[in-house]
Amino acid sequence: MGMLELIDISKIYGSVNALRNIGLTVDQGEWLAIMGPSGSGKTTLMNIVGCMDKPSQGAVILDGVNISKESAKNLTAIRRDKIGLIFQQFHLISYLTALENVMAAQYYHSMPDEGEALEALARVGLKDRAKHFPSQLSGGEQQRVCIARALINYPMLILADEPTGNLDEANEGIVLEILRKLHQDGSTIIVVTHDPEVAEQAQRTVVLEHGRIARIIRNTSPGPGAGPSL
Amino acid sequence: MFWRMVKGALFRQKGKMAMIAFTVALGASLSTAMLNVMLDVGDKVNQELKAYGANINVMPKGASLLDDLYGVREGGGVSDKYLKESELGGIKTIFWAFNIVDFAPYLETRVRVNALEDEIKLAGTWFSHHLELPTGESLDTGMVNMKNWWDVSGQWLTDQDTDGAMVGSLLAGRGGIQTGDSIRITSGSQSVSLEVKGIFHAGSDEDEQIFVPLPVVQELTDREGFVSRVEVSALTTPDNELSRRAAQNPKSLSIKEWETWYCTAYVSAICYQIDEVVTDSVSKPIRQVAESEGAILEKTQLLMLLITVLCLVGSALGISNLVTASVMERSKEIGLLKAVGANNAPVSWLILTEILCTGITGGVAGYFAGLGFAQIIGHSVFGSAVDIKPMVIPIVAVLVFAVTLAGSVPSIRYILSLRPAEVLHGR
Repeated sequence: MGMLELIDISKIYGSVNALRNIGLTVDQGEWLAIMGPSGSGKTTLMNIVGCMDKPSQGAVILDGVNISKESAKNLTAIRRDKIGLIFQQFHLISYLTALENVMAAQYYHSMPDEGEALEALARVGLKDRAKHFPSQLSGGEQQRVCIARALINYPMLILADEPTGNLDEANEGIVLEILRKLHQDGSTIIVVTHDPEVAEQAQRTVVLEHGRIARIIRNTSPGPGAGPSL
Repeated sequence: MFWRMVKGALFRQKGKMAMIAFTVALGASLSTAMLNVMLDVGDKVNQELKAYGANINVMPKGASLLDDLYGVREGGGVSDKYLKESELGGIKTIFWAFNIVDFAPYLETRVRVNALEDEIKLAGTWFSHHLELPTGESLDTGMVNMKNWWDVSGQWLTDQDTDGAMVGSLLAGRGGIQTGDSIRITSGSQSVSLEVKGIFHAGSDEDEQIFVPLPVVQELTDREGFVSRVEVSALTTPDNELSRRAAQNPKSLSIKEWETWYCTAYVSAICYQIDEVVTDSVSKPIRQVAESEGAILEKTQLLMLLITVLCLVGSALGISNLVTASVMERSKEIGLLKAVGANNAPVSWLILTEILCTGITGGVAGYFAGLGFAQIIGHSVFGSAVDIKPMVIPIVAVLVFAVTLAGSVPSIRYILSLRPAEVLHGR
């Protein structure tokens, strides 16, 4: 049994079937990429796995718990305790410093700890930028703050939505390197991406088309440090 | 961390917060100004209304308005009762002495003037009489203050002008009397010549009368030391059920009610107190004036209350729009907080705290601005400062709190309904 199991899930918005009968298992410590054209259901799948939405049918088993029937309040608690979210557009709070952005996630999880938050920033190479506001950081730096925020509560699953979508090549390399290190340290990572280069870093790539899994690609040569191939 | 986030939101979004604070300040300032003026408007309007004459008539007990009603003359045995001039200073020593603005005694008689056929009413009075009170205080009172709306051609008399007279405009017109003329006044066997120093237009039946200093009539009628009535101008509180019952019969009140009535400036209480100091007197409110004052006062207060309510409603709508717009602008931030694990309650509390902090700042600023507005209103409308009422502070505090909360309701509802997936991923 995997850490995350999607059992025959579908999502229907009015007359639109965003997801159709998706079945997928993600193991502990796996790096999975989800690819597909726009409208293929990537974001919907991401929202369901990230406890921000519920499937119309089917079951989502996370860490042995069926979360598909949980209340919004319980989903918030599961998200807080088990999931780290990385966004394409970073979503940093503009009036908080990098350090405070990381501590905000700590505050709603348990107790804010400045030392621990600084350590998380150090892991992404931004300890010296801790007191800077998002507007004073480059796009790559903002994404690294976003990663530090996702890591601060030691989540069992990291969900990254187009983490390099807004970055230049140099910053894309830095962010991928951080993800690789996280994976090496045993983190389970699901990355939604358009970018084949990013997908290649993962051990498996799930390709969605029209809300269905079109194919699953096992990457035989994931990026350096991407762990053992399956 | 909570306060770091609040502080961050407040100080790093100064523009938005300043707009909300300004809206709260506007509402608070207008409420402060209106409430202060409303609580003080009673005295102010009363003072204004006092310019239009007396509201209490003091007459000898047993006498009545027979002269006015039936033309019964003094000496006829019906209305030959008088008040003692020496006791009139006591009017300024009653419990509500400070509410007695002015008073003027009258001794009236019928006289013949020059060659006119009909008899004319001659009134002796104080024009500007200096009184030394038993309390050691002194005051100047009389017609000059009481009838300050009279249109006088020539000059007002003084109490020392015992050879002068002021003639009503209708009488002057009828008799061809002009300022500077000498008129001969005859009462019974006595006669006196007086110089017309002023001709006045009062717009009432006083325009058919002649006014002279009190000693002139006292001498003419041989009633030294007496007056036939006194007009009193007093600041009063509008009547209510208690005062109306007391006016009918003060003895019908319980001790507590009596104390409340006696210690409130109801016109009936002031009349009662005047009767206590002037022997054998009966004081009656001049109903038209007293009731008009009460009605004007109540309407003025109601108007100001409505303006205050409208200001607060406007303020609440303004706050509501601004806060909702601000929260909608911050929907990604709020969605993010929810995404990282914040429930509805902590997020709502965070936003509410920011708004309340802004509201308190705006409220304090608005309160002090409102005090300034109140003074501007006081000076421009009433020509004097408005008393600052401490009781307005808690009222404004509660109103600011309530208006800010009410204005925040739509934004809180928006926060409660906001789903992070919708704002962060566009679904």
